[in-house]
Amino acid sequence: MTTVVIVDDHSIFRSGLRADLADDLEVLGEADSVATALVLLGTVSPDVVLLDVHLPDGTGADVIAGAPGPRYLALSVSDSAEDVVGVIRAGARGYITKGSSGADVSAAVRAVAGGDAVFSPRLAGFVLDAFGAVAGESASSAEELDRLSAREQEVMRLIARGYAYKEVASELFISIKTVETHVSAVLRKLQLSSRHELTAWALERKLL
Amino acid sequence: MRSRVAVVGGVSDGLALHLGWEPRSVRVLFVALSAAGGAGALLYLWLWALVPLQPSDENEPVARSAPVAAIAIAAAGVSTMVVLSIAGADAVLGWLVTVATAASLAVVWELAFDRTDPTRSQRYRLGVRFTAVGLLLIAGVAALLSRPSALAAIVGVGMIVIAVGVLVAPFVVQLWADLMGQRAARVRELQRAEIAAHLHDSVLQTLALIQNRAGASSEVARIARAQERELRDWLFTGDAAVVADLAASLRDIAAQIELDYPARLEVVAAGVAVPANSVLVAAAREAMLNAARHAGGTVSVYLESSEGAIDVFVRDRGPGVDLANLPADRLGIRESIIGRMTRAGGTGTVRRTPTGTEVHLHLEAAS
Repeated sequence: MTTVVIVDDHSIFRSGLRADLADDLEVLGEADSVATALVLLGTVSPDVVLLDVHLPDGTGADVIAGAPGPRYLALSVSDSAEDVVGVIRAGARGYITKGSSGADVSAAVRAVAGGDAVFSPRLAGFVLDAFGAVAGESASSAEELDRLSAREQEVMRLIARGYAYKEVASELFISIKTVETHVSAVLRKLQLSSRHELTAWALERKLL
Repeated sequence: MRSRVAVVGGVSDGLALHLGWEPRSVRVLFVALSAAGGAGALLYLWLWALVPLQPSDENEPVARSAPVAAIAIAAAGVSTMVVLSIAGADAVLGWLVTVATAASLAVVWELAFDRTDPTRSQRYRLGVRFTAVGLLLIAGVAALLSRPSALAAIVGVGMIVIAVGVLVAPFVVQLWADLMGQRAARVRELQRAEIAAHLHDSVLQTLALIQNRAGASSEVARIARAQERELRDWLFTGDAAVVADLAASLRDIAAQIELDYPARLEVVAAGVAVPANSVLVAAAREAMLNAARHAGGTVSVYLESSEGAIDVFVRDRGPGVDLANLPADRLGIRESIIGRMTRAGGTGTVRRTPTGTEVHLHLEAAS
């Protein structure tokens, strides 16, 4: 059983999401602001926190900073790159839009709970852009944080084209586990890289 | 109501319309009354100040056919000649005042009315301004050089000061107008940010929820999604000039298709912004339309544009098409996508995978 906490300031959305989540996910509690979320996360320890990017008294990033224990999956109506990157760099393991179906959200929660990263096509497209992959930049060593390796670029491209992990795996003749490893590596780069495009956004959102 | 196409102020036209008279007879009346101790002129000014201007949708500028500034300049010119010819005589003071008044009137008129009047050319306005400066300077110097009476000297200096003022005034007026414009723009921007924040938090959430609860392909969800798109465009693209950018064109097409078919088209773009290429747009449109029509569900559109080449992928999760078994009358894919791309020097490929169909459009950048 995977345990979940929902942090979102819209009660209708919370109850809708709660009803839509798959049966194997147990909702431990809900919060509607940064303050109540931090109080709640002090008493329960869920596997995954579904986190809205915008909250009335702060941002999703504030919640992550205040309670770094659980894994976070960001949920937002905003699909602007700045919002997404802000919350990912703060530590979220993935990002999906609020338009996603209950099944999609449940699948994403399970993936995040299992330690994987969840990338939407839009986020993948943004990553390709921000790491200069479109312009032909490519990392030469695995330690390099500011560029993507050729394989990571391939995986990101397929995700941007709307392929699920399983489809990416069969397309590239690799195992799903390998796809997940690549995606996690990209997530790590997204969080740790000091590439100008990323830091500029982070600075703008006062994350550094 | 004062007319927007006027001779001077649009008062006579407006009054004539109101009284049901000929504009000409109203004008004659004003002139006649003016002869009677200036009553007509006063009445005219009074009406001008009080009668509102005819409203217009685009707030178009008022066009005035009488070149009032030029007439005033002519009057100032005549007065200057009189000043020069009788410099030193007692009458000079009155003429100096006339020069100053007429020249100032010309410049004020030019700044207040001709600036926005489409019938006045830039050259006309500069002509008015510089002639006024010249006349004021000539008359001022003439007054100073004439018999050194204190009063004439003061008036002369005053005129030179006005002349300098006339030179500077347009810049001040322009600066002021810019400042006001900037402030208005800032207020608008702030207001929009506030509305955006509010809509973002409430309306977009509700629309997302509706789509979620109604099921991706239902009528309600489609309407909600179309609304969401419109709102997003308005909120996030702002006043920035809309360039016919390829990504924007694809998004527009996606929005249109979503209105007509029960599908959800997700457009992701990466790379540099490129101008919309008509062939590519048409082929991509056809591919997206096919995907929405025959597969439905979620259709992923990915655009990647670098300096060297543009790639568009349209992927659906439908049963897929087999090109070899396609009836000859189904020209959609063969002609509108592959043929079109080939003729433009690119390639179009259709690929079937176990989980759907993907159309790949590729175009090298023209060098």
